[in-house]
Amino acid sequence: MSETTEREKEITIEDLGVTFRDNAGNDVQALTGVNLDIYKGEFVSLLGPSGCGKTTLLRSVADLQEPTEGSIRISGMTPKEVRLEQKFGFVFQQPVLFNWRTVKKNVELPLEIMYYDKEERSKRADEMLEMVGLKEFANHFPRQLSGGMQQRVNIARAFGIRPEILLMDEPFSALDEFTKEKLHEDLLRIWRQTNKTVLFVTHNIQEAVFLSDRVCVLSPHPGRLSAVVDIDLPRPRRLDMKDTSHFNELVTKVRNSFEGGSL
Amino acid sequence: MQKKKITDQNWFSVVCWLLLIVAAWEIGAIVVAHTKRSPENILPHLYQILAAALSSAKVSGGMTASRVVLSSAGATLFRALAGFILGMILGFGFALLMKLSGVIEKLAFPYLMLIQLIPVLGLAPIILAITGDINQSRIVIAAILSFYPVATNTLEGFKSVDKDKYDLMYTYAAKKSTIYTKVLIPTAIPYFFTGLKIAAPMAITASILVDTLQGDGGLGCMLSQSLKHAMSIYVFWLIVFFSAFIGIMSGYLMSWIERLVSPEYRGSRRAKAGKGGD
Repeated sequence: MSETTEREKEITIEDLGVTFRDNAGNDVQALTGVNLDIYKGEFVSLLGPSGCGKTTLLRSVADLQEPTEGSIRISGMTPKEVRLEQKFGFVFQQPVLFNWRTVKKNVELPLEIMYYDKEERSKRADEMLEMVGLKEFANHFPRQLSGGMQQRVNIARAFGIRPEILLMDEPFSALDEFTKEKLHEDLLRIWRQTNKTVLFVTHNIQEAVFLSDRVCVLSPHPGRLSAVVDIDLPRPRRLDMKDTSHFNELVTKVRNSFEGGSL
Repeated sequence: MQKKKITDQNWFSVVCWLLLIVAAWEIGAIVVAHTKRSPENILPHLYQILAAALSSAKVSGGMTASRVVLSSAGATLFRALAGFILGMILGFGFALLMKLSGVIEKLAFPYLMLIQLIPVLGLAPIILAITGDINQSRIVIAAILSFYPVATNTLEGFKSVDKDKYDLMYTYAAKKSTIYTKVLIPTAIPYFFTGLKIAAPMAITASILVDTLQGDGGLGCMLSQSLKHAMSIYVFWLIVFFSAFIGIMSGYLMSWIERLVSPEYRGSRRAKAGKGGD
């Protein structure tokens, strides 16, 4: 890509390592020697089997995990500084909704915490719910929604704060295939509209290839970055691209870049 | 549409139990009436109790039996309510303190249960010695008994907040006070009400029980006088029924208040009002 040199680096990860102490008192190396640059507005997936440290890497970027080696810089700042400036949007695997709040109030919650006034909160929440197609459900309670709809509320909430960086930790892994495909399209549409940097953790190869500009393949024991695969499928992505031979070639390429034998 | 079966109705089990209790009571009363000399002291017929409630005969101080019960109920219930509210506030506050400070929890939590284990009647003289006033000590005892279920249940509510919610608040860089007001306290509210539902009948029981210790009005006081035959024994039976009824109602009252304040209920009311009645 010719414009690569002109793109602005947003996240710089250098020699990152994370070591946990397990219950037996042994040190477990979750992640070691990770070097990665992520550009502004890029959609990057962290792909790997369980135990490869992909969630640890994501949590380190979000300042939810303290690295034991190396460093992370986000536009020159530490993850903590970025977090304190409330520039992260984090989407967990579970929707993490608040049952006593309506759908709309759930979307408004981070805006309340960030001291937006009532009018602005309401306006943004309406806008976001429209975007994820849940406008009619604004006054419903989370328990009245299906799992897929709850996850959409979660995504609306994350985008509502207009984060600089959106961090997603296997957000669709608990959903059925049909819902998942629908949400993939929704997510890409919203991402295109808002042009945020997205770091997306998944263990699903097809999902990573379909969504991303680049797929970072992580391998376990110890967790490390073993390959970065450019995904040169045209944008906007459409579901029928999954049937093309190029898509399948990319899936194969990604699969072959795992280290550490069969999964 | 299929017709609802009688066994599916909400009131079915209530009616079943009522009939069962009435039947058992009456069988007992018939047996007692044939074998004992003064059956009304042991188990009178239900209609006799009902007659006593409705009778205009003066039993004490120119008051009918029902008046005696109702006028002394006022004092008892007021003390129960005062103690209950006090226990509720302290229970919630203490749960909050234990959540805020692990040290306080570690120090206090294992011993909280001891309060519950000491019999009320054993506690009463000590409290009386401390407060020096029987009315105050009645309130304090009702408060102590209400305190424990409210504190433990509310604390459990605080602890039920899962890690994801803390993580989410952390990514928002939310302040501690915000986490309490927006996450912890709303999560604990249903648990708090569970505590209240247990505490309310206990406060009433405690209040009646402590009444019996000294004179000066109250249901428990009338109860013991009636048992000592200072007035009609039917006053005793009326109090038994009345306090059972109030105890059950106090629990229901808490459920009702919980429903009123629940966001789901308020939300659905708003939605209905918005749609112009649906």
